[in-house]
Amino acid sequence: MAIRSVKNLKEFSTANERFEGAHLLCPGCAHSMIVRELMNATDDNLVIATNTGCLEVSTAVYPYTSWDTSWIHIGFENAATAAAGAEAMYKARKRKGTLKDPDAPVKFVAFGGDGSTYDIGFQWLSGAVERGHDFTYICLDNENYANTGGQRSSSTPVGAHTSTAQAGRVSYGKKQKKKDMVAIMAAHGAPYVAQLAPNKWKIMAKGFQKALETEGPCFINTVSACTTEWKFDAKDTIHITDLATDTLMFPIYEIINGHELNILYRPKNVLPVEEYLAAQGRYKHLFKPENRHVIERIQKEIDEKWEYLQRREEAKV
Amino acid sequence: MRGVLATDKRGVRELGAEDLVGWDEVTQGVVLNSFDIEVENPAFLRPEERPYSDFNSYTATVASWRVIKPVYNRDICIDCQNCWVWCPDSSIISRDKQMLGIDYDHCKGCGVCVEVCPTNPKSLLMFAEAEEPEEALGKWPEKKKKAK
Amino acid sequence: MAEKMELKSTEVWDGNYAAAQALRQAQVDVVAAYPITPSTPIVETYGSFVANGYIDGEFVMVESEHAAMSGCVGAAAAGGRVATATSSQGFMLMIEVLYQASGMRLPIVLNVVNRAIASPLNVRGDHGDMYAGRDSGWVQLDAFNAQEAYDLNLCAFKIGEDINVRLPVMVHQDGFVTSHTAQNVHPLSDDEAYAFIGDYKPVDEMLDFSKPVTYGAQTEEDWHYEHKAKQHRALMDSYVVIDRVFEAFEKKTGRKYKRLETYMMEDAEVAILALGTTVETSILAAKQLREEEGIKAGVVAPRVIRPFPLNELRAALAGIKCVAALDRSCPMGAMGALYNETCGALATIPAEQRPLVTNFIYGLGGRDFAVDEAKRIFREQKGHADVGHITTHVQQFSGLRGPKLGFYESKRS
Repeated sequence: MAIRSVKNLKEFSTANERFEGAHLLCPGCAHSMIVRELMNATDDNLVIATNTGCLEVSTAVYPYTSWDTSWIHIGFENAATAAAGAEAMYKARKRKGTLKDPDAPVKFVAFGGDGSTYDIGFQWLSGAVERGHDFTYICLDNENYANTGGQRSSSTPVGAHTSTAQAGRVSYGKKQKKKDMVAIMAAHGAPYVAQLAPNKWKIMAKGFQKALETEGPCFINTVSACTTEWKFDAKDTIHITDLATDTLMFPIYEIINGHELNILYRPKNVLPVEEYLAAQGRYKHLFKPENRHVIERIQKEIDEKWEYLQRREEAKV
Repeated sequence: MRGVLATDKRGVRELGAEDLVGWDEVTQGVVLNSFDIEVENPAFLRPEERPYSDFNSYTATVASWRVIKPVYNRDICIDCQNCWVWCPDSSIISRDKQMLGIDYDHCKGCGVCVEVCPTNPKSLLMFAEAEEPEEALGKWPEKKKKAK
Repeated sequence: MAEKMELKSTEVWDGNYAAAQALRQAQVDVVAAYPITPSTPIVETYGSFVANGYIDGEFVMVESEHAAMSGCVGAAAAGGRVATATSSQGFMLMIEVLYQASGMRLPIVLNVVNRAIASPLNVRGDHGDMYAGRDSGWVQLDAFNAQEAYDLNLCAFKIGEDINVRLPVMVHQDGFVTSHTAQNVHPLSDDEAYAFIGDYKPVDEMLDFSKPVTYGAQTEEDWHYEHKAKQHRALMDSYVVIDRVFEAFEKKTGRKYKRLETYMMEDAEVAILALGTTVETSILAAKQLREEEGIKAGVVAPRVIRPFPLNELRAALAGIKCVAALDRSCPMGAMGALYNETCGALATIPAEQRPLVTNFIYGLGGRDFAVDEAKRIFREQKGHADVGHITTHVQQFSGLRGPKLGFYESKRS
């Protein structure tokens, strides 16, 4: 596999972009930062499948494609299976000798938002991972159905306002906890599972490379700050992501072979979650006196999760 | 900068403003080709070396989305590539580890590049879309002293 | 290399086994499938071929029929031969992706072993699933017995993969009556069968890295309409290739297929139009009536449901007195689909050549349709023909318990 050097940004910046501009993602969208980084992390040929969602509707609107690699979108739920089908075809044709360039290195990748990953495409992802196809699934987790205007998903965190779990006079927004997709995918026994964030570009690039290099199905959940639905200024995408990782709202870690947990980023100064919440319009209502208890609950759950992750890491089980 | 800008390669078409397609232009199975002719892996080709097809969004522009734009000041830049790695629109043009400038056909003016620029003063600043880059450079702020 | 299988000139196979053998001989690159009654044995048999070294391709047992077709689409876009099988509820779950496969012009072969659609749950054969595929943009071939299930599978690959077609193809057979009934089947040898189909010719394949392709782009009002129209044209025009493939198949095997099969129609006065195993039942009834009662009965059966053989149907029915269109799927609030296709075809010929057309709903959920009932329907049509108008409801239910159920009466002036 042809890995790009990620020793430093200058080295990394010699990559030749294969994700083109004039796509239709919102200004400041983190999706394309993540996609660019994945594609720049390798020189291998890529076959990319994408679920319906912001990324899909913004990068292949006829008559334009923003992809310089093979790319397919079928439906909302089945990018994992599309990638699996293509991977199966690759194996069959390699065996039969019908590939045009049998020695060309290729990696199979699927992208989905949290809507298609945590919710509607959950079964397709689970099936493809269980079957052991050699592919990497990357969830662009912006914690809501942003493509359709910001409805709740099972990735939406407690207390966030969405159009279908609204904050109002008698509601503080979403009541249910965010689904722990990383744990679920690790429980599949996938060889490499991680949660990564684009502000920590080097950790993310290395994680992508590890996933691409690892044989078998790998899953990566990436935090993708959504300027439109999280309600922050487009220029602040990386700042908000810094807050997400430094408040430990989004801890950065990997799980190898379903059990070996490594924390990949430890903030020097862990910030109180209030700073993260206060920077986004979707949490504005939590600062009303009657909703302060939700902030306390969020902080408590973050602390517990961090404690859990650290103990898992120490235990080396 | 000449030779590396998307503008040099394209008719610069406004997205959504293309002529209505004729019957013959509709591709079978809605398949789009990224390039006009066979290419080696584009990971080994710089954009200026690629035979982009008209279907590639590289040949289109979203410049009209912008109300403010980043202006680049070469004199201060340290080529750290922060702007390159975090640009969501593949609009920071870097070659051989050097930042060359901004692709104004693809830049949407989000301002992320300015936020992540570490120099003092910044090497990228947002200006009104109508502002001429030369004038903008003339208005560049002085180095800020650290607040004590 | 996959092992070859020695086959006898006459084998005793059921429809499922025959279909599985055809898939093996086609050297399919990827089969992505999920089992469902009554098509399960196709997948199981194929699995046994895999386990015993007869298959070089990949066999991907996915977690649902939706995923089965999704996997087929991903695989087909990667430039190789793809097939699967399903029935009933599984077919319904696949439907979203059926439209994607045809819209992307991917030649996948899908064996549909026809079965009723719930509710109420039912595993027996009717044509509910087959009818649900009518607008999905697939070529639909209908086998009336196990031999045809085998033959039409071989033809399906050759039709769908033809550079001038590039469309997915369904091969239908009736659940249980065809799929689980052992009959004599005359297969080709492995070499002959593969030579007939030929190598797969990739088009816009995702694994040709020198030409990256984007599949599944979004099109709005500026572009969607032309795409759909072009796809429709490809399906309409595919009859040329279908005819050519059927001719080549006849040359190879002596077995002749036509897009519209007709039996004893040369001098027929009355006819039954039907699909699936009902065709053979009706032929038997027509023969007996001709011998026993002198009724000039004939049978018309679309071998190809899509593209619909409208010209051929019109030609076959012009000048006869009365035809009963038999629909084995409940149209729920309308006339049956075959009835409507028939009337549509006949509306384009002069009124004096038009036969009376009646509609029977029958055989839902595997309710038996026997020769006696076919004879009764023929006699009833003869009665209409003799008086020159339809004497019953236009739409009736055949073989239904309870009071006679019928809808619409003919308007005579």
